[in-house]
Amino acid sequence: MSEERSGSILSVDFGNVHTRAVLIDLVEGVYRLVAIGESRTTTGFPWGDVRLGLSRALEQISQITGRRLTQKNGRILQPEQADRSGVDMFLATASLGRPLRTVLMGLVPEVSVASGLHAVAGTYVQIVETVSLGDARSEEEQLNAVVLSRPDLIFITGGTEDGARASVLGLARVAALAVALRKAQPPAVLYAGNSALVPDIHALFDDKTTLLVAPNVRPSLEAEDVEAAQLKLAMAFNALSAQLGTGFESIGNMSHLGILPTAQSYDLMVDYLARALDGNVLAVDIGSAVSTLAVSVDKRVSTIIRTDLGIGHGARDLLDAAGLEAVQAWLPFNASYDDLLTYALNKTLHPGGVPETLHELYFEYALLRAAVGSLVRGARPAWHSVVADDPDATMPPLKRIIAAGAALTRTGRPGLTAMLLLDAIEPTGVTTLYSDPVGVIPALGALAHLNPAAVVQVLDGNSLERLGVLFSVTGRPRIGRAALHVKITPLKGGTTMTQEVEGGHLWIYPLSADSQVQVEIRAVGRGLSIDGKSSVRLDVTGGTAGLIFDARGRPLPLALKAGERAAQMPLWLSEATGDAIRPVDELWLETLARDAEPPAPKGKRAKPEKAPKPKKQRGGNRKKGTSAEPDNQGEGDEMDELRNLFS
Amino acid sequence: MSYETYFPEQRHILALAAIRRERFLPERAIGEVEARGGEKVDLRDVVARGAIPARYLMIDAAGFFGLKDTDDLKPMMKVWEGARVEARQVLAGKPNGRGKKLLSPVAGVVAHVGDGRIILEETPEIIEVEAGLTGQVVDIEEGRGVVIETSGAVLQGVWGNNRLQIGTLRAEPSDGLESVGDEMNMQFRGTVVLSRRPLRAAGLRVAQAQSLSGVIAPSMDVSLIDRARELRSAVLLTEGFGAIRMSSFVFGFLEGLIGKQTTVDALDADRIGARRPEIIVNLPVRSGQRPPEPDLNLTLKPGINVRITRGDHAGMVGAVAHLPKTPYLLENGLRVPCAQVQLSAGESAFVPLANLEVFG
Repeated sequence: MSEERSGSILSVDFGNVHTRAVLIDLVEGVYRLVAIGESRTTTGFPWGDVRLGLSRALEQISQITGRRLTQKNGRILQPEQADRSGVDMFLATASLGRPLRTVLMGLVPEVSVASGLHAVAGTYVQIVETVSLGDARSEEEQLNAVVLSRPDLIFITGGTEDGARASVLGLARVAALAVALRKAQPPAVLYAGNSALVPDIHALFDDKTTLLVAPNVRPSLEAEDVEAAQLKLAMAFNALSAQLGTGFESIGNMSHLGILPTAQSYDLMVDYLARALDGNVLAVDIGSAVSTLAVSVDKRVSTIIRTDLGIGHGARDLLDAAGLEAVQAWLPFNASYDDLLTYALNKTLHPGGVPETLHELYFEYALLRAAVGSLVRGARPAWHSVVADDPDATMPPLKRIIAAGAALTRTGRPGLTAMLLLDAIEPTGVTTLYSDPVGVIPALGALAHLNPAAVVQVLDGNSLERLGVLFSVTGRPRIGRAALHVKITPLKGGTTMTQEVEGGHLWIYPLSADSQVQVEIRAVGRGLSIDGKSSVRLDVTGGTAGLIFDARGRPLPLALKAGERAAQMPLWLSEATGDAIRPVDELWLETLARDAEPPAPKGKRAKPEKAPKPKKQRGGNRKKGTSAEPDNQGEGDEMDELRNLFS
Repeated sequence: MSYETYFPEQRHILALAAIRRERFLPERAIGEVEARGGEKVDLRDVVARGAIPARYLMIDAAGFFGLKDTDDLKPMMKVWEGARVEARQVLAGKPNGRGKKLLSPVAGVVAHVGDGRIILEETPEIIEVEAGLTGQVVDIEEGRGVVIETSGAVLQGVWGNNRLQIGTLRAEPSDGLESVGDEMNMQFRGTVVLSRRPLRAAGLRVAQAQSLSGVIAPSMDVSLIDRARELRSAVLLTEGFGAIRMSSFVFGFLEGLIGKQTTVDALDADRIGARRPEIIVNLPVRSGQRPPEPDLNLTLKPGINVRITRGDHAGMVGAVAHLPKTPYLLENGLRVPCAQVQLSAGESAFVPLANLEVFG
């Protein structure tokens, strides 16, 4: 990360539902989050122009700070003026719009194609077709597959350095033919294969379409280098966003780095935090149309983006992608595919809506838990060094979990947000939970490219909502028997208290984010442990939820029958929120009895999902100051070319 | 966040407004605009015409003629890129007309010639885009379509079966659409039928049997989606999926348009698009007058009419009575910003702001 001095920084993240603006400025010489603004994203009906939502979000910041941020023509006022109006730096990230439709070409699925898939992580890419040497289709069939999939981009990988040439050129010729056949709207081409072929690639594509060239993503069988290709992919996404014709072009022009994919921010920030904390970190963003999971395990970062796992616009796709059984498993009553489909489709019609009844609440969070679970399962194979390739293996200890996305973070109940994370991720050991309801992580990820010092200072300034500290028991505690002995001693005087937490229960000790206690926990019972130990003692700070003791066990003993979950889940919800138990309506239980017989097949049934391959895995050798720094040379030209291409 | 800067979801239900609508070819089509800027267009006028790309056929012409140098194919070609060819038409042969001739195996278009190969695109599907509105072309996007401006009434729904149809709006019989039956006279043929009840399978059968132009209904069971998509009639839902009844407000609005020529643009909106399914009725305005455009900056304030989109009150309409400054604890345990809404039936409810729509 290269350092660029800056004063005030305005960063805006455009999601499918919300546009969130964050103003960061120097306060007594230290960067701090000064104000936030949020508005509905206005790319959709009836506005069709993203700039309106931006101006509304900025108006909120102006109301809070008294600072004018825009000029009369709506452009961001840069640099900051003597009267403190304007900002020195404007950054933009986005996860909205449609993903970049991409055809991936490579020689061997396990080698160059796999590296190509790793490279597309961090950008909103939808792989619409894959062509490799193992492809049994004829050249004509491959050509039709490529052309008729209407790609925005053809991404060619293949050949290690000093490796295969002829077969890579063969693939490139299919791509060239596809470009020729779509000459009215030719797809861009990104080449990141054997560098010896770069002159041939130029000969094939120059003057025919926009050609982006990056270093070989797979220079040898043992090594992978995807970061330069990722940057080129981000540029292509940026150009596609601009061509949506909804004001993005002018946003990109105003921003210091164009429009960066939001997911890159999660990737960068998880990497940074894992190094700073010297432990494993996970961030999960459940968006309306796209969801992202970034994890660092043993300093190896993997990021997975799923455009089929959104809880709003994408709710219908989520149901099919996560699988009916995975969603039903989180309902304390029986619900048919059509019941869930009705809920999901109505959610797509009103993607920003929140559940209003208890019934809707269970539907909403069943979908959400299934989405997070699906992301985790999809990402796990990338953690081979520490996790056996067994989907039922317990999670590695996570030092920190960060939740993002309105569905997770805007419950108004920190205990509920925490419980949703525990349910879906099943962390083990001692984990600090954070929530990012205002979009700080996207801002900091963008800022990290230019001013890493500011990132550190803003994070130190409590810019994220600290939910609390979680203590999870691994093993199978016996229901009704003590699983944890907890002793809590305030550090600044006060009464020591003890608590016994029974197996199958959650217990929350309210402790604010500015209070510290010493916690001593002992796992009691056969085979139970916390972070691999029978007892743990440590000083901890609280949070909006407090200290959370999860004695339900790992793996989580979620009942297999809906009737049993009808007792289990309301209890957990009550323990997480501190509210009285909200029992499942008796009518739903009557329905349960009536539906004991499986319903006749009706409508489309979801197939159990196949765990997608990990999209990316990087070694722990990312160099600060270089990894995400844009290559400015020639970038302007390429961006112009891309804009022309997509316009 | 203050209520002055909170902009809720908005849905157009307007008795008379200036309306601008895009009429574009489908994204995957390649074509041309047929209308000119400023031209007045009628409902059925074709404003853009294009083709959906079809499959490509790769023909090894050099191999067919046994050519060692692929450049030798060039003087043998009888057709060139862009040419339309019929099945069995000669594509290439010796310049003197003697010897082997390479015939086209299909009807189509010569898409590419090079490297000794001829690539044919099979005859593509032709798409025509109708104006669907009586109005004036105010903007043209080359290769895609036009923007038409008109004046009239507009009501936006939530889901459509991706059909655009035009017909006179009629109310369903008092016993419901299903009571029309399949064999009765075709009294509803070509009309757009307004139903206040959730649409059922029998209703879809009637729409097909009676050749209805369209059906406007509040809701429909999800199991009927595929069947609705197969219909030629336009099906537009005003509320959502399930068994939601049409609100009195929406029904009253549409009832006032009965007997009028109605465009039902039952768009199956994609998840990022800026369009919604809608019903438009062209209405005359006095010469030189232009009705107001929709106000896109509506905020929540006491007295404003809202529609509830979720929960037990889904589909109901009421007026905002109070806007609490702090989040409200819902019965399900969530604590979110809410408005107190006075419903038309007299009842009052706290509703999450995210679940409210304003009209305008």
